Amino acid sequence: MAKINIKNKGIMIAVLFALLFILFILCLSLGSVKISPTDIFRALIKDGKLNDAGDIPQKTIIIIRNIRLPRVIGGLLAGIGLSVAGVILQGVMNNALASPNTIGVGSGAGFFVMLSLLLFPGKVWAQPVFAFFGALIATLSIFVLAYFSDTSRITIILAGITVSSFLSAGINLIKTLNTDIIININSFLMGNLSGVTFKSIALPSIGITTGFIFAVLLSRPLNLLGLGDNVAASLGMRVSLARFLLLVISSILAGCVVSFGGILSFAGLIVPHICRKLFGNDARFLIPCSALLGGSFVMLCDLLSRILFAPYELPTGIIMSFVGGPFFMYLILRKKGGRRLHA
Amino acid sequence: MLKYENVDIIAGGEKILSDINIEFKEGKLTTIIGPNGCGKTSLVSALNGSVRVSKGKILLDGEDYLSFDPKKRGRILSFLPQVRNTIPSISTGLLVSHGRFPYLGFARSMSARDKEAVEKAMEVSDVKKYEKVPVDVLSGGVRQRSFFALSLAQECEYMIADEPTTFLDIQGQRKILGLYRRLRDEGKTVVLVLHDILSALNISDEIVVMNDRKIVFKGTPADILESGIIEKVFGVRIKSFSDPEGVYYVIC
Repeated sequence: MAKINIKNKGIMIAVLFALLFILFILCLSLGSVKISPTDIFRALIKDGKLNDAGDIPQKTIIIIRNIRLPRVIGGLLAGIGLSVAGVILQGVMNNALASPNTIGVGSGAGFFVMLSLLLFPGKVWAQPVFAFFGALIATLSIFVLAYFSDTSRITIILAGITVSSFLSAGINLIKTLNTDIIININSFLMGNLSGVTFKSIALPSIGITTGFIFAVLLSRPLNLLGLGDNVAASLGMRVSLARFLLLVISSILAGCVVSFGGILSFAGLIVPHICRKLFGNDARFLIPCSALLGGSFVMLCDLLSRILFAPYELPTGIIMSFVGGPFFMYLILRKKGGRRLHA
Repeated sequence: MLKYENVDIIAGGEKILSDINIEFKEGKLTTIIGPNGCGKTSLVSALNGSVRVSKGKILLDGEDYLSFDPKKRGRILSFLPQVRNTIPSISTGLLVSHGRFPYLGFARSMSARDKEAVEKAMEVSDVKKYEKVPVDVLSGGVRQRSFFALSLAQECEYMIADEPTTFLDIQGQRKILGLYRRLRDEGKTVVLVLHDILSALNISDEIVVMNDRKIVFKGTPADILESGIIEKVFGVRIKSFSDPEGVYYVIC
């Protein structure tokens, strides 16, 4: 139970920032072509005149700007979105096993992304918007189930997993019946960042940034929900409103990630738990720390998926599942009957 | 003065209490006693909106209390519900600081004034030394005192609590009740729902007796004993003895 006090928290946040920065540079630098940090810097600041002779080859500039940079930023955004959504869902549902994937939010968003591809093919804006509504519908239905029936924490997760496989089947069905949908179904279901472009993360990046800011602003109400509805209401909080807003925020975050990265699993579960261990359950620290660590985690997994078996590339989600599966098992087994966040 | 006027209360879709009229006097310590299921909790739960008032009004100094903004309510009246179900896994210091929530603006940062109130609440409640300890590992007595500190940090004139002593050992009970008496002595209006008849007789200025979802009696401990209402409602008799040090009550 070694919790870290406020002063050390400052240091830890600085460490997490440093880690994030180092990984960001590493991810830009490593891959089929290795690029030195100075060249990365030069490629980033270089203006439009690509053919200028002398400093760096045009190929390097294209690799950095058009391929690696969007992908790395995508990983960063995905980590922030999933981890912060995980913190919120765990807090609101008071369930240590909750995360965008374990309660079926990822698949809900995924299903709606498929619908958007079917109904509005080629429209970049449609995917994040549909993903958000899919995530919100899945979140609210699981929440209603959890809240209005005396269902155990494990049952909620089982319901989530059932919903997930049901919707995954739906995703596959849509793809099978509509061969003209352009998507790699395997990598979409696993979650993959390889196809990320600036165009595909433009709207999601706004969504995730906004969601993160509102999550930070609502961190005290999230804390108060941990005291139970009754105490929170006594302290003058509008409990239902706060909870609804938090669930909407988590849906924006998770939905945006699914719209460009597919159904990436487990980051929303692992990262908040590590941060809870390190920093305690105060959402005011938990949210920024989970965002920082989550960004690092997904970027690292994506880097590994690119370089481990080069020249073959794995979907990012495979690495995340290899790490996340055993961790999820550990959480289930640690306490019989499913653990509450707050006893 | 806190006053219920013709109040109907609905909880879980069922009408629990109807046409309740009662006043809680300013600067006094009033306890509400009654058998399980008599509606004590519903009566006080109306104060934070966790049960619905479908008819009538709750008046605070003549104004409609429930029409106030929730945060304003949290600055005037502190209602501490039973806190057995959810024990947060956060430090005691953070728990107590949540008592300042009704005072915080949108940015929700604590001013020096807020921090001072939290410190004072922890000192009065004797939980300062547990400031860094997670609430879920505290003993029952200390835990209840930390929740007391949380409600104290609200700095309200009215302090209401639902069964603050249930499940505590005798020392724990005495400590909590002593704290509420001290608040009364400082001029605050205290209303407690209690299970223990003897504690109620010992500490109260006034006692409200509830039975079968009705208020059946209200009066000073002496009135209560004289009326024989305890025997009617609880099926037990109370005897009192006195010596120079005070009055003692025994259940027969």
